[in-house]
Parts: sequence; structure tokens; C-alpha cells
Amino acid sequence: MSQYKIKLISMIAFVLMIGLGFTGSPYAADDTIVLGAAVSLSGKYSTAGKHTKNGYELAVKRINSMGGVKVGGKSYQFKVTYYDDESNSGRAAQLAERLIKQDGVQYMLGPYSSGLTKAIAPITEENKIPMVEANGASRSLFTKGYKYLFAVLSAANQYLEVAIDLAVEKNGGKPVKIAMAFEQDAFSQDVRLGILDAAKRTGSKIIIDDKLPKELNDMSATLAKVKAVRPDVLVVSGHSKGALTAVRQISEMKVNVPMLAMTHCDSSSLSKQHGKKAEYALCAAQWHKSLSYSDKFFDTASTFDKDFNAEYGYAPPYQAAESAAALLVWKDAFERANSLDKEKVRDALAKTDMQTFYGNIKFNQQGQNIAKPMVLFQVRCTGDSCENKVVAPTKWASSKLVHPVPKWSER
Amino acid sequence: MTKNNRIIYGLILILGIAAPFLFPGFKLQISFMWLLVVLALTWDVQGGQMGYNSFGNILFFGIGMYVCAGVQIGMFFPLAEWTASGGEETFVHTPTQYFQGFFIGLILSGIVPGIVAALIGYGVLGLRGQYFAICTLGLGIAAGEIAGGIELIGAGQGMTSPPWPKNIGSLELRSQFFYYLCFALMAATFLFLKYAYQTRFGLVLNAIRDNEDKAEAMGIHTMRYKITGWIVSACFLGVAGGLMGNMVGYIEPVEIAFAGATFGVFMVLMAILGGKGTLWGPVIGAIAFHIFKEGFWTFFLGWQYVALGALIVIIVVFFPEGIMGWLRERYPDKFGETVDESDIKAQVELK
Repeated sequence: MSQYKIKLISMIAFVLMIGLGFTGSPYAADDTIVLGAAVSLSGKYSTAGKHTKNGYELAVKRINSMGGVKVGGKSYQFKVTYYDDESNSGRAAQLAERLIKQDGVQYMLGPYSSGLTKAIAPITEENKIPMVEANGASRSLFTKGYKYLFAVLSAANQYLEVAIDLAVEKNGGKPVKIAMAFEQDAFSQDVRLGILDAAKRTGSKIIIDDKLPKELNDMSATLAKVKAVRPDVLVVSGHSKGALTAVRQISEMKVNVPMLAMTHCDSSSLSKQHGKKAEYALCAAQWHKSLSYSDKFFDTASTFDKDFNAEYGYAPPYQAAESAAALLVWKDAFERANSLDKEKVRDALAKTDMQTFYGNIKFNQQGQNIAKPMVLFQVRCTGDSCENKVVAPTKWASSKLVHPVPKWSER
Repeated sequence: MTKNNRIIYGLILILGIAAPFLFPGFKLQISFMWLLVVLALTWDVQGGQMGYNSFGNILFFGIGMYVCAGVQIGMFFPLAEWTASGGEETFVHTPTQYFQGFFIGLILSGIVPGIVAALIGYGVLGLRGQYFAICTLGLGIAAGEIAGGIELIGAGQGMTSPPWPKNIGSLELRSQFFYYLCFALMAATFLFLKYAYQTRFGLVLNAIRDNEDKAEAMGIHTMRYKITGWIVSACFLGVAGGLMGNMVGYIEPVEIAFAGATFGVFMVLMAILGGKGTLWGPVIGAIAFHIFKEGFWTFFLGWQYVALGALIVIIVVFFPEGIMGWLRERYPDKFGETVDESDIKAQVELK
């Protein structure tokens, strides 16, 4: 043991102090309310993470420019502190802790995806930090007795149940044969549970039940089976990547199936990326621009669509819409609580009952939004341009469901 | 122990114990740092001292994590209902239950990976070089996929570890509790390996690295030593996993438990950065890596991996032997090595 080690150790200690010293920052200036958010700017959810962030940003800008948040006779501006969680739940949990402990954030916005929300929720809960999340739909989020978690979206198991009901209805009320493939993650597995329930309810049979890996680039094994056993419905869910992979390989392998039901068609801009190959795909969505909801910030769903398009140059998928809605919920809660105290704001959040351009929002005991139904749309093409047309529920349906999907040889 | 030695260890001990009070906001990050040190140290037993590049040590980390959380929950409640997604009931641990479960879980999270290491090691450690590397890589990946298919532990849904019991101390207590456990684990791992490397065991590991056939020819049962080495790594890694699972609060099969792409790579990187095959190398490497990483994540948001990649390139080009190797080359006398100047001159003249 000699002097070099002393030098070395002191050097390390020094670097340590500098390294750890540079990250802290005060959380709220006099007239801003700082919200913390870890979103996926890189990794497998980076596309949807970007939609989430854009949704947050647009709403922050809109609320701030329309007078901000009025609490105790004073007007506050929203500000969001972002970190990149790399689509990794371990990272997300660390960042949540960092936002709360180091950056002193008192109010949180959710990340993208159920898995990451599940990683963050235990931490916000333990620190008693209210979180309004817009992208965690897994049912398991609402069975843990969380008191500080509020979700503006419908639960994952409701996503595609309707599609099974539709298939049964088109089959003359007789049970159908279902083939399904789901990514190994919290959200998709929950969609699967929903299908299992629906199958049980309708007496339908599940003939293929595959689990797909997380980096979903190939599902040809499942599709080969589908070709062989000819199911009535094929259900696929695996976030944006899953939707793109499914449509690419279904068209390559010319798989004929009467109904293809999926999730994440709009966040992956399926109709743009794959055009006519994606036609007739049936998709579950939390929101669609043709819905008839409105509020005073974004006016109607279709004006939100226009404003978003003008700002970011692409049509908003529902992930952006629900994220924007989360900010509206925060503003409403702050103003009703008329306080910045996080406990009071939490209680106000629990009593939320409002309409936004995105839909009605009212939380149950578990913090789940129970006031808003899911919509189903179908990709339809005229010429080479494809669009998403709502087919269910009937209240907003702008087009009739095409069933069964024409064979590839006839397209 | 020399006087200098005592001063250094005393300083580290004081720094380690005082850190939560010096940097109250950074408790979690420093806790993670100690765990990363454990990861790097245990990898170095194979990668550095024994010359077996293992890419599958993350296996033991993940097993430890699941075992610890599983025991914590399973001791008091039905595990299947806890992990079920649509479960209606909410289970709450009382403080006594929590700590009982936690400590039994933590002990088992050391023992079970050790047993697994012994069983797998017997089959796998007969392979050498790249065959061993590829085989262990496969083990790590397979473990993640298998865990993602077991419904009892939540499958792809993941599993939440029991929350800190309510009404016991302040919020700070929890992070302090875990901080000191992490620090203690790091200290225990370091001291154990320091002791082990001084014994015959350490010499045999080095002999295996330098020439395994020769070691065998000298009558050493290399297989026994290799397996023992792996068991040691597995035990400490397993406990680190158990702690990590509780700190994070949510266990995801491929991103947190069997996180080959992050922790699995980091442990190799940290050991090489610090200088593999040395006792201090992995410690220094892990600390430096963690600080750089956290810094990049703060200042280069969106570009953090590019910055990290650049750092790795710099390490490989300028410090191929790691920080310790570089120091050793520059100041050989500080490492107790003598340089014979006349010999060097003689060699130069010969050329």
C-alpha cells in the first residue's frame, strides 16, 4: 500500500463530489408549476414516446398562452422536466426517484407504456407524489391499491374485446375461432386477458395463442400456423413495432384471414407506412379525431388534430391526444384545489369529472378513467391514400365495417 | 495492515457511512453505484482473475431478484394471486412480515444462485475461450425469455416487490435502509475477494488464466476451483439482485432482472475500464462509469449512448489495460515492481 492509492482515492472522492454535485436544481420558481416526466426518447418505444412528449408540450403551450393555471388568485405557468427512460423500466424507476428526490418534483406525468408506468408507480406512491398518466393501460396498475395514480385512458383489456363481439355478430352469433399473438409485455399481455374473457363469454375457441419477443421483428412462425388452421379472427398486439411487423409479414406471406384486429395502428402510422397493404386492418384506439367531444382549450377533437398537425407536421395519434388531456386534468385539479399542496391536489384529482376534446374523464377509486369508451377503426383506402375510419361504437361510426376481409388474390 | 492502508480504508468507510448525509438527494444513485461495484467485482472473478469471459453472470443477478421478491411475498400471501394482473385483492405486509420476509429472502437470494451456479458450472465450465463466452451469453438471454413465460412470477407482466410498510419511519428511512445494505454488501464482497485473492485460491485462479493445462498438469483440480469461483460470484450477485429488486420496486424479466443489454454489458465494461484482473480496478471502473453515465444522462439527453460509445472508444484506444493498467505502466514502482533500466537499455541496444 503506498501513496499512489491515497492520491487515487482522493481523486475518486473529488470526481464523485463534482459528478454528483452538478445534477441538482430547484424545482419551482415563483410562478411556475414544474411537472416531472420520464418519456422514451430512445429505444423500442421512441416513436410513441415522441408522440407522448409532443402531446404534453402542445398542451403546456396552450394552457400557458391562455392564462396559465390560477391558484390562490395568482397565475402559474406549467413547465415539464423531461428525462429519457430509454424504454427501459429499470431506468424509468431510477429517473422517477431522481425527479422526486433530486429535482424536487412534486407532481408527475406518466411515461409511455404500461410496463414503464408499472415501474414508476411504486415510487410515486411511496413518495406520495400524485401522477396523472396517459399511457399506462394495464389492468394490473389498478389492482395494487395505488392512491396517487390517475389514468386518463381506458384499461388495456377493453381494447379488443369489442372486436371479438363484432366477429361473433358477423358470424351470425355463433362462436368464432381465434388466433392470437401478443408481445411479452405488460400492456399486450393485458390485451390478451381481455380476449380470453371475451372468448369465454362468447364461447369462442382459441386455436393459436403465441407469445412474441420484445424486439418484435419477425412473427412468420405464427403466421405460418395461421395459414394452416384458418381462424376467423387474428389478433395481434405488440405496440407500434408489432403492428408494422404484422402487416408487413401478412402481406408478404399473403395470409388470408376474415378479420385482423390490432392495436397501435395510428401511433405507427400504419396507413402511411404500408398503404394499401394495411387496408381492412381493424384497430383499437383511445381516441379519434372524428369524436364529438370538446373543451375550451383545444375546442373539438378535429381542431386538436389540425393544431397538432400545424405544430408538428403529422396527424396526432391517440397517444398524443391522451397525453395532452393529462395536462388539462392537472390544470383543472390545481384550480379546484386552489392550492399547490400535493395532498390537496391529489384529493381534487380524485374528484375530477370533466369533458376534454379527448373524452370524458372521471376516475374510480383505483384512479382509472371510467367515463370514456374505446373506439374501433378500420383502415380504408381510396386510390393510394389510406385513412382510418371509425366503425364502432355506432354513435361515431363514419363507415361500415368491411367483413370478411377480401382475399389477397382479389385485392 | 500498514498505516497507509488503515487510513485509506478508514476514509472510504467514513465516506461511505457519511454519504447519505453529505448528499441526501443522491442516496439512490450512490446505492446503485455500490451495487455496480459488486457487479464489476464479481464479474472480475471470472473475467479478470480466471480468464473466463462470462457474459451470463446476469443470470444470477436475476435469479436472486426473483427469489428474494418471491420469498418475501410467498411467505405470507399466495404468490400467484399477487402477480395475477386482474387480481381483485390488495395484499399488505405488516412491518414484521416485511422485514422477516426481506431478510430470509435476501439470504436465499444468495444461496439459490450459488446452487444454480454449481449445477450449471459443472457442465459449462468445461468449455474454454469463445465457446464459454457464447454459452454463457445464451444462458443469460434464455433466462430472460423463460422468466417471461412463467405465470407464477408474473411472466411478461413483471412483478412488483412488496412496498415499504406504511407508518414506519419517514420516507428517508427506506432509502437509508437500502443504502446501508448496499454499502455493506459492497464492503463484504470487496473484503471477501481481497482475502480470497491472497490465498491459494486466488493463485490457482490466476494459474488457470495464465495456463490452464499447465495448472492441471501440476495436479490442481482446476474444475473445482472454477466452480467455486463461480459460486462465489453467484452468491454476491444474487444478493445484489435481491436488493435491486426491492429498491426498484418492479421486476421486469428482460429489462431489470435478466438485463443482459444493460447491467450484463455494464459489468464487463466497468471491470475493463478500471482494469481487469486487479482488485481495485473494478471498484474504480464502476465508480468512474457510474459518474460518467449519470453525467451524460443529464447533459447529453438523447445523445447519452453516443457519448457513452465515444467514452468506450477512448478507453479502448488510450487505456486498453484499464485505469489500473495505465497507472501500473506509468508508475510501476508504486505497484511494487522494479524496472531494471540497464536491462531496458541492453534490449534497446540489441535491436
